[in-house]
Amino acid sequence: MQIYLPIAELSVNLFFLVGIGGAVGFLSGLFGVGGGFLLTPLLIFSGVPTSVAVASVTGQVVAASTSGALSHYRRGGVDLHLAMYLVLSGVLGAFGGVAAFSLLRNAGQLDLVIALGFLVLLGFVGILMLQESVRALLKQRRGIVVRERLPNQHNWIHGLPMRVRFKKSRLYISVLPVLAIGLFIGFVGSLLGIGGGFIMVPALVYLLRVPGNVVIGTSLAQVVAMMGATTILHAVQSQSVDILLAFCLMVGGVAGAQFGAAAGKHLRGEQLRGLLALLVLAVAIRFGLSLVLTPADIFSMAVVGGAR
Amino acid sequence: MIRLLLALVLALAAAAPALAERLISTLSNDTIEITSSFDGERMTFYGNIAPEAGAEQRYVEGPFHVVVVVLGPTQDRVARQKSHHFGIWLNTDEVVFRRFPSYFHVLSSGRLRDITDFGTLTGNFILPEAHAMVPNEAGLMKTLTFGRELIRLMTQEGLFGVQETGVNFLSETFYSAQLILPSNAPPGPYIAQTYVFKNGAIIARKSEGFAVRKIGFERFLAQSSTQYPLLYGLACVALALFTGWLGGVIFRR
Repeated sequence: MQIYLPIAELSVNLFFLVGIGGAVGFLSGLFGVGGGFLLTPLLIFSGVPTSVAVASVTGQVVAASTSGALSHYRRGGVDLHLAMYLVLSGVLGAFGGVAAFSLLRNAGQLDLVIALGFLVLLGFVGILMLQESVRALLKQRRGIVVRERLPNQHNWIHGLPMRVRFKKSRLYISVLPVLAIGLFIGFVGSLLGIGGGFIMVPALVYLLRVPGNVVIGTSLAQVVAMMGATTILHAVQSQSVDILLAFCLMVGGVAGAQFGAAAGKHLRGEQLRGLLALLVLAVAIRFGLSLVLTPADIFSMAVVGGAR
Repeated sequence: MIRLLLALVLALAAAAPALAERLISTLSNDTIEITSSFDGERMTFYGNIAPEAGAEQRYVEGPFHVVVVVLGPTQDRVARQKSHHFGIWLNTDEVVFRRFPSYFHVLSSGRLRDITDFGTLTGNFILPEAHAMVPNEAGLMKTLTFGRELIRLMTQEGLFGVQETGVNFLSETFYSAQLILPSNAPPGPYIAQTYVFKNGAIIARKSEGFAVRKIGFERFLAQSSTQYPLLYGLACVALALFTGWLGGVIFRR
């Protein structure tokens, strides 16, 4: 069944959209990530214009993260104080990201920067995650009890000026790294159409030493607020948010995430992280190849000016 | 003055017998409505070549050729070329084509080359290439190269095309032509130009307009996204929050 997308101005199979939404939702539920980093590339590779794909996926990420954020909030797993700092700087970063998005689109370099961004970011994070999970798996096989590094151990980042006390996270740290993380994820997330959960979680754990019981909840709450703001910014600035496309993806994504979360209970943490790392790397390699290999067509076209 | 009048009389005398045909034509739908299930639409152009109104003769003599040119709304379009730098491929060169048709299809009753000469074809913008040869600040050579590639890309998208068997004659003078407008045909005003050729010369022409437009919910969405972008964005976020919340409630996560 074909459905006409009014902003993308093309008709796509409805089941395909709900299907990729569901498949990505399943993976995001399984691994506990937003799934934007999979969905945006999938849409781009299936012919949706890059700008529409990025802008619409931001809406989908909001929906995908909402139910998780709510359930974490009910369990008291959200540090609202910390999330507020992250969101404020994140929205600021998103302003920059959306402005850069428009500039790059007019200059014809949007696809290049998005491909490069995905390659660098996903490649870097993927390699780190793979290393960590392989090491954990090997140690486990040798029978060594893996002990996570304790939070609350301070490093030099915490010693920066302008310290603030975050009660729920039991942290008394400088706000500068918090703002820097928010700013960076806001910029990258709005430019690439990803929630940034897979950067946010490691950053909170390893850089800020946020305790495990509030990491996921805080990250999800931040993603909801920041991506919500980004959706509005995209709608105002580039006018390329396709609400119908986003809705189809949401429906599939929200349903798929529930099954993914259920399936995730049968796998161990290290295995999950290893699989996620492979997935992340696969997407990075796909983008890398598209940059390096001789393109099938060295010419491309686009509509310029106010029209989409 | 006298010379001018003389020329006019001569021209009229020469033209009168040759212009004895007229074209009576119409098309199957004057609006194409884009609804949520829009997946392209079939259009039919048909018409009859008849003697000029008030003319003495009761029949026309062929053989005729009919060419239908369907032209979509114009847009500014850019063609870009990638080249290999620092190990990666990136867009390095571009040519902007102002007021370039977003849709262009030619239907004809025979090979265009056999119907008339190249000059007539380009002069009347019957060939796609004619649109890409419009003078451009990028210079002639670059415009030609990029224009050719742009037309190729548009053809791949199904937005440009030439169908030399697109017009069928059902009798000596009655023709019909079918065009399937693809789902990615941009909304806006369209023009269908019909030319009747006899012995390589245009003996009659007629143009008809039709519109491709979004209606109902699609129209509402597209309009609100451009006219009330802030509200539209807020609605998107509200929808996303609601869907996410509802999902959590339904599945009791």
